[in-house]
Amino acid sequence: MDNDSELTSPPLRPPLHNSSAPRDREPEPDDLAKLRKWQEERIARRLRGDYESAVLHLAEVVNENLSAPSRINAIRVEGAKHTRKSFLGFLVEPFLLSSSTKPAEPLTLSDVLQTTRALGHILQETDVFDSVVAKLEPSRDIFAKPGDVDLVFRTREKGRYYLNTSTQVGNNEGGASATCRVRNAFGGAETFEANLSFATKTRVSFNATLGAPLTRSLGTRGEVSVFGMERDNSSFASHTEGVRGLKAVLRTGTLTTGLHETGYEAVLRHISKLTPTASISLREAAGQTIKSSLFHSWTRDTRDDRLIGTRGSYLRVSQELAGLGGDASFYKTEGFTQLSRTLLPHMTVSFAARSGLLWPLKKDTSLFSDRFQLGGPISVRMFRQNGMGPRDGADSLGGDLYWSAGLSVISDIPKKPQWPVKLHAFVNAGRLEAIDKTKPLQTSILNSLSKPSVSVGLGLVYKLDPVRVEVNFGVPLAASSGEGTRKGVQVGIGLDFL
Amino acid sequence: MTSVLSVPQPLHQFFSLFPLYTYPRIPSSASQRPVVTPTLWIHPPRNTDPSTSSLLSTDVECLKWQAYIALRGLKNIKLRWDVSQDGSIDGRLPNLHIPSIKPAEDGDKEGGELLPAHLIREWVDEQHGVSEVGELEGYIDENAKDESRAWVKLLEGNVHAALALSEPPQFSFLSLLTTSPSAFTSGTTEAQTLLTPPPPPLTGLSSLIPQYGGPHIDKSTVELQYREAIASVSERLGTDKWFLGSTSPTALDALLYAYLHSLLKTKDNTLRFEVTRRVNLVSWEKRVGEEVKSAFQKA
Repeated sequence: MDNDSELTSPPLRPPLHNSSAPRDREPEPDDLAKLRKWQEERIARRLRGDYESAVLHLAEVVNENLSAPSRINAIRVEGAKHTRKSFLGFLVEPFLLSSSTKPAEPLTLSDVLQTTRALGHILQETDVFDSVVAKLEPSRDIFAKPGDVDLVFRTREKGRYYLNTSTQVGNNEGGASATCRVRNAFGGAETFEANLSFATKTRVSFNATLGAPLTRSLGTRGEVSVFGMERDNSSFASHTEGVRGLKAVLRTGTLTTGLHETGYEAVLRHISKLTPTASISLREAAGQTIKSSLFHSWTRDTRDDRLIGTRGSYLRVSQELAGLGGDASFYKTEGFTQLSRTLLPHMTVSFAARSGLLWPLKKDTSLFSDRFQLGGPISVRMFRQNGMGPRDGADSLGGDLYWSAGLSVISDIPKKPQWPVKLHAFVNAGRLEAIDKTKPLQTSILNSLSKPSVSVGLGLVYKLDPVRVEVNFGVPLAASSGEGTRKGVQVGIGLDFL
Repeated sequence: MTSVLSVPQPLHQFFSLFPLYTYPRIPSSASQRPVVTPTLWIHPPRNTDPSTSSLLSTDVECLKWQAYIALRGLKNIKLRWDVSQDGSIDGRLPNLHIPSIKPAEDGDKEGGELLPAHLIREWVDEQHGVSEVGELEGYIDENAKDESRAWVKLLEGNVHAALALSEPPQFSFLSLLTTSPSAFTSGTTEAQTLLTPPPPPLTGLSSLIPQYGGPHIDKSTVELQYREAIASVSERLGTDKWFLGSTSPTALDALLYAYLHSLLKTKDNTLRFEVTRRVNLVSWEKRVGEEVKSAFQKA
């Protein structure tokens, strides 16, 4: 290489020394503060210039040599102490193969660089490493040909263990929880997470999940989990529901392009601890039931903000088929969509719709635990939590067919657009009902659409990451007899609002 | 909140306008059928085929009340056993589901009323107008009435303890998932509360070792007490039509029938033989059984 293209370190200069070029407009040496600022700016400018020229230079060298013959002889990952060799081999193997089994086209530096980038990306995707730095070194192999290189990744692994205990109060509920997470549990980028929490409404809940990447591109993950909880449903259906289950899920894709989740779930539900005033219908529903089901869901989220989006859309479609053994036998499908658009400056309009159908397969009626519930501050506002649909006395029995839709206008507070609190006006509508299997489904759907329960209101929305908090004042305009309505102020805390 | 802050009058009036429009009540296929005849909720019988006309519950508590209702002369009582024990009042069967006395609410279905076991006696009395059993509760004299208390204690103590111990605790993986560890010892814990004197605990009071499983119950003592109890019951019954020489069936007869029937159906040979070798007990059980069975139908 030429001598003048070589990078040399700049000569040492003492600080605040006088430069003689008058075009630099150097301030007088008396004003030290000004002089110092000027000097610092000059150094920063020079460094930037040096850096830019170095990058340009490097790019030039690389680009000129892109077609130079080169071949990856070996790939080494350094610093991966807790990661299994077999797992790294599994990730690396396709790249080694591609560099050795293409004799027809001589491999070039361009191929090597592409491989480096692709593999570096995959190593970072594993979520095992804190930093991944790639280097190309001349091959150490004694049989190496000229141009053969070793691809070396200097890595530092992330911490493997994480333990967290916390207490929280909110949403009329107080509780404590403990979470334990092990990253790279068996050296193959597996994650293990166990969570145990106690609270006033969801009395106990536990969840243990083991997930592992299944493909070389890490795009598909498998997950097995065991879960359980005791939920106090006495506020709307006079009982406590215990849930114990296990689940196996296969996840593929990303949220922005569409995430598929396919899996199997076996759950034991136990409706017990009925309050003395429980209705006869709920007493009949008490006891244990088993659900064994296959499910699939597809989710796509292109919103710019999950809580108060100003553009983009969210779409989720899910299906479940139960009846592979167990008591529950049904087909269930549900859809949820949300669209946000900026209407005027500082004002966005958001539309959300949700709908579901539960079709019992063997029997004429569905089980209480499988049925939908509707109403509440994050569902159809100005109705009580799960207070809509068929009822027996004070108990919401749930339904098999529902729809709900909401239109919200969210605007900045005048002159305070930076505040996380926004103004909010909404119109919500929805209906939940039981399906009469003797009538055609179309009739049920038309009937459901023709009798919407409607509510309107105004309020404030506060983005309190990671949740959205709403305080609304509103009234129900139309409701079915017996439905639990809420007039006046209603507070909601949640993620997916209608 | 509402008790501290009261809604101002104008706001209250404003709220009372809403909802502006009300649709009729949403029907539910899941809500219950209206109850027309009194229905007793019990644990399932051995044979659930209604053609066999033996719809007697396997659970001795349910059978006691079945026998009580039948022997008090009530007929056409429906039975259902599809409701889980979790659905009963205080988690205990039997419950009696009767048509509601109060007029049904506007648009509401006839839901009826559910009575726990201890209110069944009162309901039966109501069916007969006044309490027809009177002061003596159907016994021939004051002495017999006093004596009946001792027999109740004997049956619900020694006999029940032996029966509870003989029944193997129903163990399944599902119960492991849903219930506390005490489920493992359900049989013994029931027996433990019935025994006099109560059995000693497994570990000392000051022991650091946590108590797991029930206390040790001496099975042979329980069996011995059981044998003595059955022998004395057989002797006292003799060839009487009703126990203690009553002219009509009493609550004690219902109790005795429930235990005798359960003992005759138990899988424990020692317990069953003790009854089967006494001819008077077997024939009495058979005769009363006919009367009890005829009172019930499947709902």
